[in-house]
Amino acid sequence: MSSDILSFIIFLPAIVAIGLMLTTRDVNTIRNIAFLTTTVILALVLKIYIEFIPSAGMQFVTNIPWIESYGINYYIGLDGFSLTILMMIAILIPTSYLLLWEGKTKGYWINMLLVQSGVTGTLLSLDIVLFYFFWEIMLLPVFLLIGQYGFDNKVFTTIKVTVYTMAGSLLMFVSIMYLGVAYQHEFGIWSFSYDKLMQITTISYDIKVWLFLGFLVAFGIKIPIFPLHTWIMETYKNAPTGAVFLLSSIMAKLGIYAIVRFMIPLFPEIYIEFSTWLVAIGLFGLIYFGIAALMQDDIKRMFAYSSASHLSFISAGIFSLNSYGINGALYLIIAHAIATGALFLLVGLMHEQTGFKTIKDLGGIAKKAPIFTFIFAVMLFANVGLPGTNGFVSELLIIFGIYEFNHTLGYIATLTVIIGASYMLWMFQRAILQNRPEGLKELVMRDLKIKEIIGLIPWVILIFLMGFYPEIFLNKFEPTVTHYLNDILQIGASK
Amino acid sequence: MNQFFYLIPALTILTGALTLMFMSMYEKFTVKNFIIVSSLFLIIALGFTLSNINSSYSVQPFESLLNGVLTFDTFSNFFNILLIAGTLLTLLIGEHYFQHRSYFKGEFFSILLFALFGMMLLAYANELITAYIALEIASFSVYIMVGYNSDDSKRVEAIFKYLVLGSFIGAFYLLGVVLIYGATQSTNLADISKFISMANSNEMILVYIGLTLMLFTFLFKIAAFPFQAWVLDVYRGAPMVITAYMASIFKIAIFSFFLRTILSYISPIIDFWDEILTIIIVLTLVFGTWLAITQQIVKRMLAASSIVHTGYLLLAFIALSYKDGQIINIDSAYATMFYLIAYLLSALGTFGLASHIISETNIKVTYDDFKGLAKQRPFLAAMMTIFLLSLAGIPSTIGFIGKFYVFTEAINAGYIVLTTIAIFATIVSVYYYFKLIAMMYFYPPKDECISEEFNDKRVSTYAIAFVAILTILGGIGSAIVFFIPAMNIDEIINLAQLAVQSLFIK
Repeated sequence: MSSDILSFIIFLPAIVAIGLMLTTRDVNTIRNIAFLTTTVILALVLKIYIEFIPSAGMQFVTNIPWIESYGINYYIGLDGFSLTILMMIAILIPTSYLLLWEGKTKGYWINMLLVQSGVTGTLLSLDIVLFYFFWEIMLLPVFLLIGQYGFDNKVFTTIKVTVYTMAGSLLMFVSIMYLGVAYQHEFGIWSFSYDKLMQITTISYDIKVWLFLGFLVAFGIKIPIFPLHTWIMETYKNAPTGAVFLLSSIMAKLGIYAIVRFMIPLFPEIYIEFSTWLVAIGLFGLIYFGIAALMQDDIKRMFAYSSASHLSFISAGIFSLNSYGINGALYLIIAHAIATGALFLLVGLMHEQTGFKTIKDLGGIAKKAPIFTFIFAVMLFANVGLPGTNGFVSELLIIFGIYEFNHTLGYIATLTVIIGASYMLWMFQRAILQNRPEGLKELVMRDLKIKEIIGLIPWVILIFLMGFYPEIFLNKFEPTVTHYLNDILQIGASK
Repeated sequence: MNQFFYLIPALTILTGALTLMFMSMYEKFTVKNFIIVSSLFLIIALGFTLSNINSSYSVQPFESLLNGVLTFDTFSNFFNILLIAGTLLTLLIGEHYFQHRSYFKGEFFSILLFALFGMMLLAYANELITAYIALEIASFSVYIMVGYNSDDSKRVEAIFKYLVLGSFIGAFYLLGVVLIYGATQSTNLADISKFISMANSNEMILVYIGLTLMLFTFLFKIAAFPFQAWVLDVYRGAPMVITAYMASIFKIAIFSFFLRTILSYISPIIDFWDEILTIIIVLTLVFGTWLAITQQIVKRMLAASSIVHTGYLLLAFIALSYKDGQIINIDSAYATMFYLIAYLLSALGTFGLASHIISETNIKVTYDDFKGLAKQRPFLAAMMTIFLLSLAGIPSTIGFIGKFYVFTEAINAGYIVLTTIAIFATIVSVYYYFKLIAMMYFYPPKDECISEEFNDKRVSTYAIAFVAILTILGGIGSAIVFFIPAMNIDEIINLAQLAVQSLFIK
């Protein structure tokens, strides 16, 4: 059972979703069943979290042949990296259900369940074709969510985001197939397991650069890294809250995870060579998106840019390739997922009730909805990286990491934090705190309900817990990171 | 007696065709009777072919009578299974359509079986004239079936374009045969193969020219680049079900003969056509993609996208190569065969489902007509989505596995740039397939397309659902859903392997 538990976690939501698709029950029942499913998964993930041994490498491994003629295996497993993100997904999804509770349809919940299957599968796959399989599948429910429940020019948006991300994935697909073929040429058998592919030695430098770029495009689009970001503004603006939440909090993180899991181990020497550029691009993205966020009036677009800005920061941390940077990036992945996820959900609530989309229409929310404002503020400060929150710990670690990587870039990284603080706080002041100017339309806004507060309290607790006692979380994945870095640097040095 | 056993499937189909022809003389039989009778014959034939599926054999029965022009082996059996099963599925999916179109009379089903008979012969043929006769039996039957669509003014254009161009290209084939005969004094492929292995380069010129002319026929029938102009109009004018039949099943028959020729008889010289095929593939992909994105009518879009799929198939075809006395990259032959199956299922599904939807109406099936289908008929829309995802090559469908095989083999053979071009074609194809999905799910239905009553509990729907399940199963296999006992994806590749190996039994 202990090894099948991961398969169970992956497929349970999909099976429940298919079951629900065939029933004709009303929306409330369907939503309750969906919610129950996610809590069951949360319980299972907690069980794994407790059983997980930090120093032991891959655990809970299942490895059985899937397509034997090409050596593709159903190969899943879990280490410190994936466990952290798995935990994050398992916590975020049920709570997001509580905030999305009212006024959704059957299709909405079914798609939410399907996404969960897709993202968990992507996260746990260790065979690269299996990974690709889930990577593409997880997009389909989002496609349906945006197209059916989105706003404004939703059909155009949904086609655009699909073609955009598929283009990236398919280019990665070429790289994947090339790697498989190279392995077959060298060792005489087919395999697509990531640990097997790492052993390839015959690919020439030029080809490797191309393959590397193939992967980088796919992951860079999902994250998004500058200049592959052009899809996100429109998507985040037009997509329904649930889809924005999934895209920003979970799928973007999977892009970063995939870089750590597949791209860097497969091409360590290429990676080390390009790392200065990549860190610089990450920091440039941070500044660029930050300044763009400062100038937005549409609140969802502003958050889209802010999210992109943070994700660039995370990528810069990952690319710095030392223990500070990667630990900090992993930490920020969680911190950002919690804070941004909550902010997007709260903004979604605000939009649903007030009907206003732009910052200048809003204002005076603090008076009408004090609890809402309080939680909003906590999330905001976590996002900005105020000391005491988890954002602070992670940003500090990343800055250390970048500083160790390159002093000049380290100084730039330190300065950029100010930009993040400025657009966030300015927006907070205008949209939430300040009194409503005369002559605007009346503001309709209720405060958070008990259910929503219950959903958000774990997140608030986590923010502070992770801020004050980072060790208990860091200890779970730090051994993996250390081990990983040793391996990579060794391979990179030996080639 | 033992030898006779191998002939049974083809003879069953022939008997079936003749029986149906006699039946069509009587007024009292309804379309339903004809469907039942023809399905019966198809099922019998399918049963006989399936009984041989796992055995490896290669015989030329009744040497004195058939003169060794037909080879019955696992390879032809493999293709016969596909052809018969495909025809059976076409018939069942089309059941609704046949019953609501007054012009489908008894003889139509007879012609359908004759077409199948021709294709089966093509899969057996190892002699050029026999292959031509088989090809023409199939082609002429299809010409007639294309013209059945008497509701549609486009049908005259369709049938004449197809008939004239098809006969014209048939003449190329004959010219090629004549030239080859001039050089080798034989039309039997086995003799030609012997000649090729012994001849010096001067004597080979005529063979090269002859085979190139035959290649033109091949490219025409599968609608590759310079010969693709007929596809859109013919597919557009033909009855929907027949379009499905042409797009998927006829292509399989063509591939069966040319794969046999290439793998087993002319393998030493196949690399001669690599450059020309490279150019053809690029142009096929580019042109097909360009045509597909500009279409407004779904049928034409699917027709154009079938050109792109031809490009993918040729990609696996070109990966076959010859070195040091043997074929290398023979795995790409399996990839071709797998892709044919994948395309058979997905294309049959899409065209068949479209025909099912429009059975009771008489609309043109533009993108707009699909608006709001998901609200009215959610299960049909879901199945259509599965087929379109399969065509686009999204994972969890058989189309993905097919593309994976084809592209991997192409990269394996060193055609990386070509594969990348094919990947770009796939990226664009995501656009035009997803556009249709978007139409079904994201728009409210058009007023004139809301039909109040439709009965979806009928053979067609079940047949389509069956194809949809196969499409998904073929993409997932039994390993991922290991708790459900189902066929493994490898099974198909293993069968293809067995089939190809039977070609080399001498």
